[in-house]
Amino acid sequence: MPSLEISKKDLESLAKTKFASKEKLEEALEFAKCELDAIEGDKLAIGVSDTNRPDLLSAEGIAREIRSHYSKEKGVPKYKITNSSVSLIVDKNIEKIRPCIAAAIVKKVNVTEEFLAQMIQLQEKVCLTFGRKRKEAAIGLYDWSKLKAPMHYKAFRPKELKFIPLDYKAEMDLEEILLEHPKGKEYAHLLKGFEKYPIVIDNEGKVASMPPVINSQATGKVSETTKELLVEVTGHKQETVNTALNVMVSALAERGFDIYNVKIKYPGKSIVTPDFLPKKIDVKIESIKRLSGLSPSEKQIIELFGKARYNARKKKGFFSCEYPAYRQDVLHEVDAIEDLLISIGYNKITPLPVELACVGAESRETKIMDSAREICTGLGLQEALTFTMTSKGKQLQKIFLSEKSLVEIANPVSANYEIFRQRILPELLDFFGKNKNCEYPQKIFEIGKCFETNEGLETKTREPIKLCIAISGKEAEFTLIKSILDAFCKNMGLEYELRESELAFLEKGKQGEILIGNKKGFIGEINRKVLQNFGLEMPTAALEIEL
Amino acid sequence: MDLKAIAASLSEIEKKALKAIGSEESFSFEEIAGKSGLQIDSVRRAMGWLAEKKLVEISEEKKFEKRLTEKGKIYLEKGMPEEVFLDCLEKIGGTSDFEELQKKTFLPKEEFGFALGFNRKKNFVVILKGEKPRIQLTGLSKELPPESGKELLEKIEEKKLLEREKFLELRERGIVEEIEKTARKARINEQGKKALEAIGSAKERAYNIQGAVPEIFIGKKQPYVRFLQGIRRKLTELGFVEMDSPAIVQEFYNFDVLFQPQNHPARQWADTYQLKQPKFGALPPEKIVEKIKAAHENGAGTGSRGWQYKWDIEIAKKLMPAAHATAHSARQLVKGVKVPGKYFSISRCYRPDIVDAKHLIEFNQMDGIIIDEQMNFRKLLGMLRQFAVEFAGTEKIKFVPSYYPFTEPSCQLNVKHPELGWIELGGSGIFRPELTLPLGIKQPVLAWGLGIDRLAMVKLGIKDIRQLFSDDLNWLRKQPMAAIE
Repeated sequence: MPSLEISKKDLESLAKTKFASKEKLEEALEFAKCELDAIEGDKLAIGVSDTNRPDLLSAEGIAREIRSHYSKEKGVPKYKITNSSVSLIVDKNIEKIRPCIAAAIVKKVNVTEEFLAQMIQLQEKVCLTFGRKRKEAAIGLYDWSKLKAPMHYKAFRPKELKFIPLDYKAEMDLEEILLEHPKGKEYAHLLKGFEKYPIVIDNEGKVASMPPVINSQATGKVSETTKELLVEVTGHKQETVNTALNVMVSALAERGFDIYNVKIKYPGKSIVTPDFLPKKIDVKIESIKRLSGLSPSEKQIIELFGKARYNARKKKGFFSCEYPAYRQDVLHEVDAIEDLLISIGYNKITPLPVELACVGAESRETKIMDSAREICTGLGLQEALTFTMTSKGKQLQKIFLSEKSLVEIANPVSANYEIFRQRILPELLDFFGKNKNCEYPQKIFEIGKCFETNEGLETKTREPIKLCIAISGKEAEFTLIKSILDAFCKNMGLEYELRESELAFLEKGKQGEILIGNKKGFIGEINRKVLQNFGLEMPTAALEIEL
Repeated sequence: MDLKAIAASLSEIEKKALKAIGSEESFSFEEIAGKSGLQIDSVRRAMGWLAEKKLVEISEEKKFEKRLTEKGKIYLEKGMPEEVFLDCLEKIGGTSDFEELQKKTFLPKEEFGFALGFNRKKNFVVILKGEKPRIQLTGLSKELPPESGKELLEKIEEKKLLEREKFLELRERGIVEEIEKTARKARINEQGKKALEAIGSAKERAYNIQGAVPEIFIGKKQPYVRFLQGIRRKLTELGFVEMDSPAIVQEFYNFDVLFQPQNHPARQWADTYQLKQPKFGALPPEKIVEKIKAAHENGAGTGSRGWQYKWDIEIAKKLMPAAHATAHSARQLVKGVKVPGKYFSISRCYRPDIVDAKHLIEFNQMDGIIIDEQMNFRKLLGMLRQFAVEFAGTEKIKFVPSYYPFTEPSCQLNVKHPELGWIELGGSGIFRPELTLPLGIKQPVLAWGLGIDRLAMVKLGIKDIRQLFSDDLNWLRKQPMAAIE
């Protein structure tokens, strides 16, 4: 969940409401699907739960969502856009690299500390979540007074161009930026394999940025003296970059700044951005009733939609709903219906009991495991529970087995958890090793999943349930562990057969292979070397079978 | 308690042990075991109780004990190399070349060299120089037989005394070693002596029912397992059927069926585990796969616009450890469900993280679905209210708007826990039509997942989440069974 830092005063001024208590604030934040994570003086830490709502990633956006519940302002927000006659010319050579761009100019900007913090935060979070770490959308903000129209978006060869990247002092060519600049290194993978790199550049050859990597120091730095801004978004889909631009620009408009459009001249066609024309979705009345379990009147529905920033108009059997162009998450009418329910307030809706009689049942696996558990505890054994993820060292090396049919993790965080266990015994020997100061005899068991690859299965993995019983102490001899096996099988209604075996981790002559139908297991005394590997001194015997 | 009462309260084991000490001397536990005929474990226990009753005093004494090393044990069995050397030489006629003798003695090169040097120094053998040097017995070993090395080793094994010089020599050769041992000794005190007398005069033992008794460790289930069994039982009582829950699943079930777009940040490397092997699993029949593909790309005629991107079947085939239990609900919907129906799973889920007091990389999740024509958002809230009562024992609840890629509307359940205050108990919602309609399910499906690890921690009174999988046997043995219900 993205987390934002917001000033309470700023939020209240934008929302045109004062929140008298923490509870009132929390209640208001619910309208924006946000949670108050922490409050410290004026500073609020706010979690935004909807990762498909980039428009909620700023104080401006959250305030806009809340304001409609506390004032007369309802429906799709209206922002004025003025024609600027500025164009941005897209070169054909960008088509296969990063083809789409959208831009806007913002004037009468009043850069305050709060505004700057929110803009940087919004830009970062939008690129990270909605922009998929700049892959789908990368945003640039520039001091417009330092650039000369028309702007150009085209690709250059790595050594063809030099500029000073943001927060640097020396000029670098495009290749050097990708190899040396921290942002260059971070985002170089997005430009990998291309012979040319995208550049936003003004009519006099002054570089604005190298999207999606870095702005230029000369023009791409917004400071407290900046009065006019150029905002641009690049990516691979026009709809996505438009939405990201709308999110940015509508937040700027919330601050009362003036918005001007830009003509994007693609080879062969032109579009004008930002495009604030509301989007549309039809919501059936029947669907509202069926999904919510409520029967609101038409008037109520229109009012609730208004609070949720929709313009709803009644048609025959459905509502034709307009919603703001900064949203791209309304895929289906159910999305609009949720917004309507949030407008009501979840806690104002009366729950209904489910009252659906079905016959419950545990799975076969659970039943078998529980029977085995009952017998084991009856045998006086203490149950242990260990992890199914473990290490090769424990599962193989320490008990002298070689790798076979291993289910292995590609991205382990730690070498202690790099594979899925094939057998439980090593985990229980490890358990004994941690309890040497505990009174002996120690008699334990574990029942759980083990893993091995198996080409014949849907997931190429067999996940047998295994039972391992291990006893440690002076009396831990073959006879005792065999008595336990015998008692277990009799009570489980299983017939077993023992065959002589030569497993490397068991004592020679005091071990056997267990056969129960077509399932196999092992039994025996753990040999000296294995005990040493687990730091054990007491004699130890064990059995492991598949259930 | 007066002395008579104490004496009368002594168990047979304690009496035997006390009698065995019965003098001014102090004895080691082993000696007491020998004298009394008791097992060493029983002596240990008896001494513990007698000391507690202040009848004996126990002292600890450190002493050095000589013992054979692994090598020494082998020599004890097979003989010292120098003796093997002489015996063998004699057997083959008193003379031999180097190579033959080494072969016949079966001694490793190093030990053979040592034996030769040793016997030369003692003048038991000489080397006859020549083109092929030979070793020959001098006969001195017959006249002046050395103290058998084997006897020396036996002495050590039997813990008999050994000349210091000989010991040092053997230690140098890595045959014996000296280890420090703590020996505990018990000595009877004045009280004890009086008690001993009292035992003699006491006709029969009067039980001290207040006395300490040996602890019995019973066989029992792991506390967290018991907790999960309780939850499972409750769910079956509520009419839910348990689903299969494989730990390894296809991304198809973990994400795609659940309408999570393939470029979603949550599907990336850092947030889920991937497998190195096996890599790809099988998918259900093409008919179903095609529908899921269409749902992602264009909404599959469900009234949705879909995610508007090109869906890749290869990504869907990738195998991974289940990152959430909703994967099993997705799988059940694909396999087929009864309508009306209620299903649940309690399963291990895996997410990369650094393991600490708050995070596990392997944890349990509980997840389920209700499929029925009558289901709607108000019923969803009703279900959550019932869960709060059943699983958290509280009616103080709050519904919080939330977001999950697979439900719309979505609702988080917060409950006021008597100890923890407001906590998030779980998430829920109604499955999106892009998810259910392509699978042929026309009825609303309520979906829910509850975080049970947190509840388990409260019930078990633990602060560190790792303790759910405790490797502390003492703690497991001490957990009362009645604590979890």
